[in-house]
Amino acid sequence: MDVKATVLDILADLTGSDEVKENLDESLFDSGLLDSMATVQLLLELQQQLGIDVPVSEFDRQEWETPNKIIAKVESLENE
Amino acid sequence: MSYQITNILTAIDQVAQDNLDDCYQDEQGSHTYQDLYQQTNCLAAYLQSLALPQEAPVIVYGDQSFLMVVTMLAAVKAGHAYIPVDAHSPKERLIQINEIAHPAAILGTLELPVQLDTLTVTPDQIQAHLNYQATPLDRTQSVAGDQNFYIIFTSGTTGVPKGVQISHNNLLSYVNWTVNDFNLHAKIRCLSQPPYSFDLSVMDLYPTLVLGGKLLAISHATTENFGQLFKVLPTLDLEEWVSTPSFAELCLLDKNFKQENYPHLHHFLFCGEELTRSTAKALLQRFPQAQVFNTYGPTEACVAVTAIEITPQVIEQNQRLPIGFAKPDTTITAVDDAGNDSFEGELIISGPSVSKGYLNNPEKTAAAFFTKEGQRAYRSGDLGAIKADGSIYYRGRTDFQIKLHGYRIELEDIDQNLSALPMIDQAITVPRYGANHKVNQIIAFVVLNQELENPSTTIKEQLAQNVMEYMIPQRIEVRQQLPKTANGKIDRKTLMAEVNNHD
Repeated sequence: MDVKATVLDILADLTGSDEVKENLDESLFDSGLLDSMATVQLLLELQQQLGIDVPVSEFDRQEWETPNKIIAKVESLENE
Repeated sequence: MSYQITNILTAIDQVAQDNLDDCYQDEQGSHTYQDLYQQTNCLAAYLQSLALPQEAPVIVYGDQSFLMVVTMLAAVKAGHAYIPVDAHSPKERLIQINEIAHPAAILGTLELPVQLDTLTVTPDQIQAHLNYQATPLDRTQSVAGDQNFYIIFTSGTTGVPKGVQISHNNLLSYVNWTVNDFNLHAKIRCLSQPPYSFDLSVMDLYPTLVLGGKLLAISHATTENFGQLFKVLPTLDLEEWVSTPSFAELCLLDKNFKQENYPHLHHFLFCGEELTRSTAKALLQRFPQAQVFNTYGPTEACVAVTAIEITPQVIEQNQRLPIGFAKPDTTITAVDDAGNDSFEGELIISGPSVSKGYLNNPEKTAAAFFTKEGQRAYRSGDLGAIKADGSIYYRGRTDFQIKLHGYRIELEDIDQNLSALPMIDQAITVPRYGANHKVNQIIAFVVLNQELENPSTTIKEQLAQNVMEYMIPQRIEVRQQLPKTANGKIDRKTLMAEVNNHD
């Protein structure tokens, strides 16, 4: 399964909204779709489903704000 | 060393007087025991000078700070139980608690978000009286014996929170057990992360002060900002860790969270929700020199009443970890549906740490508390199995109370608050379980009475004005109608099955 589809499925599941699959540049934090607990859940799911260890110590919300930014982040981490 | 404390305040004063060691570190810096001693005495004397109604509780409002601890302790020294309200609560919660508790005063260590009719002591007034000398402290009025020491509010099924009254004797029983049975040493350095409005914080606060240790506080803002959190944590040189398992799971996401970077971290104490096998295993791998303790207890029985050290052997032998053995002065039995003692059923806790009941709520108190063989007893609503050796295993709930990231939530509480919103006709919430029996999401199903452009966002925003942040459902699903049971109630179980069939 490709990264984009997996990430979007995780996000849709966490937020309960298919909106995330349509508006890939919408801020997940501003809209209240993703709270801090859901963010932790997102990182855990990425670890479990894609085997990606996000360096949480460098976690910057700005870089994880929208579905597109998250996909880009995950792809860059996957290529490391 | 064995401790046999008879009075919490005296024990802390004995440690604190003329002691120049640090007792607390917050974002303002470090504070000494001598400061704690002086400031609590002065502020308590000032509070007594206000001639508040005797024994009436006071609300203490604030966050993870030394001033909050000073103010809470000053209240009990002056003779008033404190009701901690975290500054990150919605203002509605402060209003609600004020209405239920009829406090003698509200002590704001931070500016209150709303003006209330109750006598309010402002942050400036508190600061100005930390050196108060005009009248002496009358220690005969200090909280002692069965008088209330603190009152912590928890979620209630009717949408109104319940105030659990914890007496000095309840707390004493808990503290004596903790300082003796967890291998904690004098002057221990302990993390102070859970907010003081959450009774898990009592697990770090009082044992550490009695042991002459240092509390290292992490603010709400730091907890929320992962980058900042992992910058600060390794600098604290922690020896003891108290948190929910969820917070440790978050920290385990950081690969630098390991013994090498926390060389003196030798104690992990968990409470508040289920500690899973995988979390315990990961922790012991990262911290091979540490002792990991799992504990269990409802707020009504003062923080925790069972404990067990989770060793590699315990992990090996159990698919689901035990919550441990009852503390020595406490009896835990299980009763079956017919009310008979059994090896499996609802856990009944009796002993000196069981609360006298809910503040100004005789109905709920009578439903949950009773006297058993001369001891105060509490029907926990938790299902458990008790093995022949006395070890106890958690099995679930008898009702719709859940734990999400350690926070205790009555689903009916959220239902009530959702239904009260103007655009909602019907609402019901269900938990979704992840791996390891843990709830990882609350999903609300709602029927609207009007078209909304962004129902999820709008509902979350409005709900946030009335309930705590952790009670806001992650997902809100709009339906045309909700399934009903044979007797016409919304069928939560059908919806629970629907959202949990993913595995």
